[in-house]
Amino acid sequence: MITTAVIARQHLRLLSRSQTFLLMLVVLLGMTALSGFIGWSSHATILRVYDETVKTLTAAGKPVPPNPFAYKPRLSLLNNMIIYVPLIGALLAIVIGNMSITGDRQAGVTRVIFSRPVQRSSYFWGKIAGSAVAGAVIMFACLLLSVIGLTLINRSLPTASELARLTAFYMVSGLYLLLFVLIGIVAALLTRSQSLGLFAAVAVWALITFATPQFTSGLRPVASLNPVTDPVSASHSGFFRATSRAKPLAVNEQYKALSTRLLSQGNDVIRAGFGKTASQLAPILFFVLLLGGWANRLIKRRDFSEETARD
Amino acid sequence: MTRHRNSKVLTLAGHEYRSAARSGVLFLLTLSMVIVATGSITIASYDFKSQVADYAAYLAQAKAAGTTVTAAPLFFPLQLLRGVIEYVQIIGAVIAIGLGYLSVARERSGNTLPLILTRPVRGRELFFGRLLGATALITTVLVVTAAISVIVIGIVGGRWLNGSELIRLSIAFGVAVIYMLLFYALGTWLTARSKNVANGLVVALVIWLSVVLIIPQIGDTMDPDNQVPGGLFAALQVQKPDEKKVLAHFATYETIRNTLEETSLTKHYERLTFAVTGIKDKYNGKPLGSIAYAKRADIESILFYMALLSGLMWLGLRRQNMTRKDTG
Repeated sequence: MITTAVIARQHLRLLSRSQTFLLMLVVLLGMTALSGFIGWSSHATILRVYDETVKTLTAAGKPVPPNPFAYKPRLSLLNNMIIYVPLIGALLAIVIGNMSITGDRQAGVTRVIFSRPVQRSSYFWGKIAGSAVAGAVIMFACLLLSVIGLTLINRSLPTASELARLTAFYMVSGLYLLLFVLIGIVAALLTRSQSLGLFAAVAVWALITFATPQFTSGLRPVASLNPVTDPVSASHSGFFRATSRAKPLAVNEQYKALSTRLLSQGNDVIRAGFGKTASQLAPILFFVLLLGGWANRLIKRRDFSEETARD
Repeated sequence: MTRHRNSKVLTLAGHEYRSAARSGVLFLLTLSMVIVATGSITIASYDFKSQVADYAAYLAQAKAAGTTVTAAPLFFPLQLLRGVIEYVQIIGAVIAIGLGYLSVARERSGNTLPLILTRPVRGRELFFGRLLGATALITTVLVVTAAISVIVIGIVGGRWLNGSELIRLSIAFGVAVIYMLLFYALGTWLTARSKNVANGLVVALVIWLSVVLIIPQIGDTMDPDNQVPGGLFAALQVQKPDEKKVLAHFATYETIRNTLEETSLTKHYERLTFAVTGIKDKYNGKPLGSIAYAKRADIESILFYMALLSGLMWLGLRRQNMTRKDTG
């Protein structure tokens, strides 16, 4: 237990000394602020567009349809975070995962550590704990900034239910990012060169983020970048009916669906839709456990005495 | 003398290429692009086939009801490339940034730069050697992707490309090579000027996010009509003339939105390649000369970014050569 804590601390120190942690914190906070700004700006504009539409239709004596944004939940202003987390957040998580293994190998730290009576599993848990603490601090800072932003935009504090849903969103996001830290770790452990490890992890990221949604829902890559997506007409065809069966396993789609429910739907998401929430969370949790087990096994079997990481 | 200098550039380029090939990076990148291109074209082909099937069903119903029918969906094989172009736009840029980062990180961790600089190699030769090596790498990845795309369009899409379509495809992939090289230059510049290479990569990824996602998103997401699935005006059942009247009140907002969009390299790449391949219906079947004229602003912007980023890459490498940092 003490060894695990020492390794976790060393990992955190490495991240903060290289200023990578600070940089990532700044990037994710910047994303949160930007997400709020874009959400506010587009929402304010669309309300003005609706008002103008009402004026134009009334002047022409035409019936006025109801405002489609009248009951839009206040948290939906942060909808862009659902896109930013799987894009830049996941890539940064891969960099953390990759660095946690290759950094130690390049500096010869692993050889020193394993020349002492340190259990391999302690090393694994230390790395995971270090990354999880770094991720938790970043997610908490983003949560805090989101609350401040929402309070300023809505001119009132978020309700208890909104706060619970926002916290749940950042917890789910943290879990999703942990998945990519593990992808970075596994890819680094499977390859001898740092570059191959990094690119292999990025290839997996591309498959999860873009290729899988295209396969299961017919979403084109650029369409995946927009939080508001058109329903795919071809999903009624036999081909898409068959491919959509893989949707429950598509972690990116499940993350986006769950996050959209948390941010854009009513107050009863967590309680009333617990079964659905659990089924959307299950694939992310499953892959985190699977990759965690795999990483642990790879660390146990690897001969760290042999070389330093190559490029 | 010039021949000797060229041979040094070629040697350095060969080193860059061989390093990527030996480490397996070249194979991995090519494989990734081939997988996503094959998947994307296959899905687009099935999407089109389902549209044709829907049309056939609609035609039968319309004939039975005796109503007038709308035109059948037309098949343009190059339009199946839309997903592939978008993959280059997003993933291709990340790959190129990664290649630029690795080119510097490899030298820092292997301490090869001080060794190279003990030989009579000039900064200019290092710069061109790297750029040539990266061009060869990116071209290899994209040529294989293009070849596989042609085969998949032929087999799954059911039509082989003719000479004119092959030329358009080659132009689109040629533009893609330039686009990826620009991100390679960005990755190299930022990594070379960072004390810690990982931080250079993170900053490059943030710029990638801004160029590929945030700025175009300001155009797309902040477009009022993109806020509702199917479009706001369709949801409000507003006809085109009324829509124009409403949007006339938002001219300043639209100008700011469009100006921001104009700064995105990705948007220029997208507009140019969509026009050349006819993905944008307006340019479908138009001669290449008239497309080049219509898209001259996009071509000029890409040329501007070429000059800017190669200048920055040059400065970054020069600084690195002078300081010879060893921090990893």
